[in-house]
Amino acid sequence: MNAEVVLFYAFAVLALLSAGMVIASRSPINSALSLVATFFFLAGTYVLLLAHTIAVLQVLVYAGAIMVLFLFVIMLLNLTETEGERAKVTFGRVAGALAAVSLFALLALVVMGVKGAPTAMATAELARFGTLAALGQTLYTEWLLPFEAVSLLLLVAIVGAVVVAKARI
Amino acid sequence: MRVPSIPAADFLPLVPAIILLVGACVLLMTEVFLRSPSRGYQAPLSLFFTGLAGAVSLSSAFEPARPVFQGFAAQDPFSSAVTLVVCVALGLAVLTSSGFLRSRNAERGEFYALMLFAASGMSLLAMSTELITLFINIEVLSVGTYALTSYLRRGTRPAEAGFKYFILGAFSSAILLYGAALLYGATGSTKLSEMAVVLPAALAAQPALVYAGALLVAGGFAFKVAAVPFHMWTPDVYEGAPTPVTALMSAGVKAAAFAAMIRVFLVLGKGMDPSVPLALFSGLAYLTMIVGNLLALPQRNVKRMLAYSSIGHAGYLLVGVAALFVTAEAPAGDGFRFFGATPLLAPGLSEVAARADALKGLLFYLLAYTVTTVGSFGVLAALERSEDEPKGTAWDLDRFAGLAQRRPGWAFAMAVFMLSLGGVPPTVGFMGKLLIFRSAVDTGLVGLAVVGVLTSAAAIYYYLRVVVAMYMRPAPEDERIPVTLSWGTELALALSALAVVVLGILPGTVTDWLQQASTLWLGQ
Repeated sequence: MNAEVVLFYAFAVLALLSAGMVIASRSPINSALSLVATFFFLAGTYVLLLAHTIAVLQVLVYAGAIMVLFLFVIMLLNLTETEGERAKVTFGRVAGALAAVSLFALLALVVMGVKGAPTAMATAELARFGTLAALGQTLYTEWLLPFEAVSLLLLVAIVGAVVVAKARI
Repeated sequence: MRVPSIPAADFLPLVPAIILLVGACVLLMTEVFLRSPSRGYQAPLSLFFTGLAGAVSLSSAFEPARPVFQGFAAQDPFSSAVTLVVCVALGLAVLTSSGFLRSRNAERGEFYALMLFAASGMSLLAMSTELITLFINIEVLSVGTYALTSYLRRGTRPAEAGFKYFILGAFSSAILLYGAALLYGATGSTKLSEMAVVLPAALAAQPALVYAGALLVAGGFAFKVAAVPFHMWTPDVYEGAPTPVTALMSAGVKAAAFAAMIRVFLVLGKGMDPSVPLALFSGLAYLTMIVGNLLALPQRNVKRMLAYSSIGHAGYLLVGVAALFVTAEAPAGDGFRFFGATPLLAPGLSEVAARADALKGLLFYLLAYTVTTVGSFGVLAALERSEDEPKGTAWDLDRFAGLAQRRPGWAFAMAVFMLSLGGVPPTVGFMGKLLIFRSAVDTGLVGLAVVGVLTSAAAIYYYLRVVVAMYMRPAPEDERIPVTLSWGTELALALSALAVVVLGILPGTVTDWLQQASTLWLGQ
């Protein structure tokens, strides 16, 4: 068992634990902070996958910018910790829970059955793999069309957000 | 590192989408440089860009199919035809919007801009041949329609509709993305053309991964086209959204999502046992036809009725999709025997011909449904009064009582649309159903065709109820004369009623053209 495997299991278990905390904790602030932790541990697994740039972006954008916004919104809403009504057991809820559990079990079976294959990349190629230079080169040449489509998506999202946030139309 | 060169000709297929995009930006700018409060020019301006985009896609429709951007997208007659359908839906929706928005004092450039943005997303979606590009374009059209759904905030309905659509839409997009990730894991590529090559080997190595990925992708698409059991959001969202937006959603979004689904599964179906997509889509088609039409039966709210009817029509389209996967010979090995014996093509019919017939039927049905449904939502938009919306009675069947005496033109147009939705000759809805059911029978999917005909017959009940209310009930005494009078609405109703009748009587020209348009680029 080398260091990489140890690190992987550490990151994976901690990511799962903190993801569980997001759902389980009663206070929204705790949930948001657990989400920050989840993002950090995910960034760790990205580093192990040699995706350095993605890992840095994950920490900067998700754990940094987006989660700060999350916390702001939660604090602005000023949610008090009140005990909600106990959810009633209805047919729809039971069916939904069953469907979710069976989907999860199915996907778990599928993912457990995946056979890993050693990478075909040469060492020199691997060293370049997740760097900013390699990412930029792929993104701006081969992936030009999806890249431009993303800029369209961002424009639509901005206009849409302004329209929805207007007090009254 | 290999730096691919992208020739300038690769940008040509994007021109319709770029025109729509430029139009959207121009409309946004009209708000910035606004000098007078009158915004009457915005609808004609959007119409101009829509027409231009439609004309360009029509002119490029007969160019040979080819991949562009290294296989990230494809220029083919199929995508041009879908873009044209989207432009028809957008043009008619814009025409009905202007009067609708002006009567609510809500005409803004952003509304038209979002409509054009969403339409450019639909156009790009129809030509995407790579899963990530496809996902991004689905998001472009979805985000545009999420914002449009809650554009008018009168009462609680639009907020609820927008929120519901956003949450469920995001969830379904995530499911689609998860499926795409599994497919990428199995094949090592997200380009459909490369996946088609690797798929047989991947299927032999890890079949569970491929099937799970395909199922999840199908689930994501089924949500977008509102197929049962992924239909729960449809009535609430369609009811809460501004009526012209509902028209665009039920026609344009559906057309684009169907186009993308057909493209993805034609490629996946080449690699896997074709009886799997066949069983999947026939199952969805059975459920969607039966449940959609049954739920529409008791509706007194015409807008909700049209929402359920749109679910039912998604079912008929799924019959056409299922017909794409029938093969000439029984597949080797024990494929899925989901519904009894494996259906086979009628003798003397080649797979290519059967597939072209089914695609022609699908495209014609999409066009037919577009002109009909946008027209009927146009009548609804003209009739509804904004003060009734919070009470939820704006679309009650009683609003149609005696319409034939008060506005005979609208009543006639609505009657034409209802007959077309029900599939009564000589309307375009009948021709569409005829083409779809004929290709179902030719491919041996007789069960689907029978259920389709039976549910259409049941559906005539709730469509004719509107006609009966218009022509045989007296108008309520206190009823004010409706309502939104504008040249746009009148023009949209006249155009779509004309299209419904003319295409119903003389479908020849269009079906000939769509026959040629049934070519898809699916990789070598």
